[in-house]
Amino acid sequence: MRNRASNTLSKGKIRQSWSKYNLYNMQRFRSPPTTNRTFFQQKWSAKAASRAYHGEQVREGQWKRMFNHRIRSVIPMNASDLAADDGSLVSSGRGSGLDKGGKPAYQTRPTPYTHMTFAPLERRLDVAIFRALFASSARQARQFVIHGAVTVNGQKMKHPSYLLNPGDLFQVDPDRVLYATGHTKTPYERRQGRLTRRKAKAESSKGAEEAEAAPETAKEETKETEKEDTKETEKEDTKETLKALLAQAKSVMSAGKNTLAPQRKQELRGFQQAVRRVLSRSESSTVLADSLEAQFSQLTLLLKAKRSEKPEKKDVKPRPEDAFATDRGDAEVASAKKDTEATASDKLSEAFAQATLGNEVDASELSDEEFDTLKRALTQMRDNPLDNSKTYSTPWQPRQYMSAFAFIPRYLEVNQNICAAVYLRHPVARPGSAEVPTPFGESIATPAYGWYLRRRW
Amino acid sequence: MPPRMQSRSVSNTLLPYLTSSSSSSSSLSSIPSLSSASSQCLSRQFSATAAPQAQTKLRRQMFEWLNNEGSVFKHHVPGETNYLTRLKQRGGNEGSEASRPFPNNQHFISEPILSEELRNEVYNRVIEQKKSVRVVSVELGIDMKRIAAVVRLVELEKRQRAQGKPLALPYARAVHEMVPTTPLAEKGERQTYHEPINDLPAHPLTGTQIFYPVPESRSFDRVEAGRVFSGAPAMEHSEAAEISHPSDLAEKIMEDPNSIGWVGKGANARQILQPADVRIPHPHLVAQERDRLAHPNERRAVADLQSKRLERQDALEKERRERLQARREKKTTIVSPEESRFDYRIKDTIYTTETTGVDGRGSKATGRRYGVPHRDRTRGEVKIPTRVEA
Repeated sequence: MRNRASNTLSKGKIRQSWSKYNLYNMQRFRSPPTTNRTFFQQKWSAKAASRAYHGEQVREGQWKRMFNHRIRSVIPMNASDLAADDGSLVSSGRGSGLDKGGKPAYQTRPTPYTHMTFAPLERRLDVAIFRALFASSARQARQFVIHGAVTVNGQKMKHPSYLLNPGDLFQVDPDRVLYATGHTKTPYERRQGRLTRRKAKAESSKGAEEAEAAPETAKEETKETEKEDTKETEKEDTKETLKALLAQAKSVMSAGKNTLAPQRKQELRGFQQAVRRVLSRSESSTVLADSLEAQFSQLTLLLKAKRSEKPEKKDVKPRPEDAFATDRGDAEVASAKKDTEATASDKLSEAFAQATLGNEVDASELSDEEFDTLKRALTQMRDNPLDNSKTYSTPWQPRQYMSAFAFIPRYLEVNQNICAAVYLRHPVARPGSAEVPTPFGESIATPAYGWYLRRRW
Repeated sequence: MPPRMQSRSVSNTLLPYLTSSSSSSSSLSSIPSLSSASSQCLSRQFSATAAPQAQTKLRRQMFEWLNNEGSVFKHHVPGETNYLTRLKQRGGNEGSEASRPFPNNQHFISEPILSEELRNEVYNRVIEQKKSVRVVSVELGIDMKRIAAVVRLVELEKRQRAQGKPLALPYARAVHEMVPTTPLAEKGERQTYHEPINDLPAHPLTGTQIFYPVPESRSFDRVEAGRVFSGAPAMEHSEAAEISHPSDLAEKIMEDPNSIGWVGKGANARQILQPADVRIPHPHLVAQERDRLAHPNERRAVADLQSKRLERQDALEKERRERLQARREKKTTIVSPEESRFDYRIKDTIYTTETTGVDGRGSKATGRRYGVPHRDRTRGEVKIPTRVEA
């Protein structure tokens, strides 16, 4: 299907997309005028505007078959109200409750039924993926489905028009989601990715050749080189590397959005190397240098050992937002603390050095914040690594203007960690709110609903 | 767009090639005329239309907006929503404005999602503490369907973590920063309810306006209203006397779901519309409220009654589920041969008018039927699956 869903400025249509063009169009959108226009014209333009947003990828005939004039709605009930009255109070008198000073017995807000006109389209798999914030547009979601990156209830589903049933679990490949919602790569990053790929290719081919030629000798060689490496690194001063490690952790955490991308990457890379150096010197160095996961667990183990030694200082509450602490939030905290901690950081690095060498340390001199800083830097490095082989800019950042479109409707339950979501039920209207996300107000929703009633009014 | 070629940069050596390429059928007569007016031609542009400006007016306006007012939307502030409505918010600062993503739509609200801790707490209560979904739903104020989904998703997440599959952790962090979340209450604090849990779905039968005269002296309650909507005759006096409050009906139906009466015949047969007390997801809350009203000063007794009621309900539901499962298993025999990757589920064919149609050739009947083409072959058949088995 040809994509006609461009975000043109001249037409000013609103689309299911996170593009900045769309944001601009949404902000300047005004309902079409009604004066001096026939009812038909009003309905036509309302339909045109709302169909450009709702299911623009669905043919008109297809949508007309899906449309249903009956709209689902719910009324939230209050248990104490139900217990207090069996309904006879409401129906007393002449059938609508006794008049109490001109006030009706029950006050309810009107239910916006016509905002739910396009509710059947929300059942579509591609739209649901867009609503769950797994793709930056409905078109992209559609592509993910067609390219086989989406499963429904664990089975690959290749039809974007599959209508989800209540209880269906759909999952998108996390790499695609990170690509869709992340920053795009800069030309520099793309080049780096190419270079690493080329290098890996060359190495693998070379390694294969060598392995074929002499498998035994190769093993011996690697052993020897390992030994040499460890000897060399032992010569270096432990304290200095640890100091550098901490300094780098701080600079990583304090980097704001003003820092240039390459600079930030250099810092991260330096930090990564420093961690590797420290770990290579600790006792169980054999496991370590391979994966980030192993590195992280080892370092946290070391830190945990330190923490358990001083339970008195633990009264500082672990903040609930720690689990989702941000780069920027951390940056502010870290930069604020930087000055006060300048002297204390030396102690930390010393203690850390001793711990890695397996000595007893007096940990009471260290501050909780320093542990936190180091820990957070490590967590970030593990969860959000620098990896040029990815299709998106690393370390991952949300794409620009994403926050203006970020909301998750109630009929979906989403687990962002695994990029999976459950379609709980069909969207419903309730007094005062409708669950179908639509950028249009009453003046468009109602005529558009009227249009699809097959010209019955 | 490639850079426009200026006439000045075109040398004389290129000219013949250019003309021949632009029109392959160019006649010889055109060449002398070109050479004669070459001085004129060199000063002229190839295209008669003026080159467009670098940016159209609309584009310029857009970037102006994006660089001034719109620049706040480029990056989010953690823990706050960043919707378009914040631009209009400046005058009257309302709390509800911050959670409306669309400036023109007053009726769509960005509802909070479950925070990571609350999600784990739900899983903990259901799986580790073995509480029933109904109880957890009332405790935390989360819809029962959502609780089931959360348990499913957290389990899937644990499995994926154990398998070492890739996760989208930075993405999850960013989304939880942008969208409002319901936090888990600290110890000793009261948990804020995530969503309304006792939603009554509006039944299509209640959409009609019915003129039903009732004497003013008679009390007309929800049970009777339901009967009127579904066109059932009024209850017998003896039957009506048994029900002091519509929520009595809820307990009766919980014990015996078949006690709901029917109206109509054949294909038009439908169950009588029940009062709201029966149709809400948590009817026991109404019963509890009634207990409270009846015994205002006996908290302990009310709580005991409620826990007994819930236990009874859980036991009944469990029994019902097991009975259904047993019936299903009885119908099918599963054959799983050795050295086979497949299980064979064998069911008895039911050959009745309902399953095979009047002429025995119904489209849903089992087996191949002579003269009836396979569904795949018929025109306009949609092959997109309508359901995927979990």
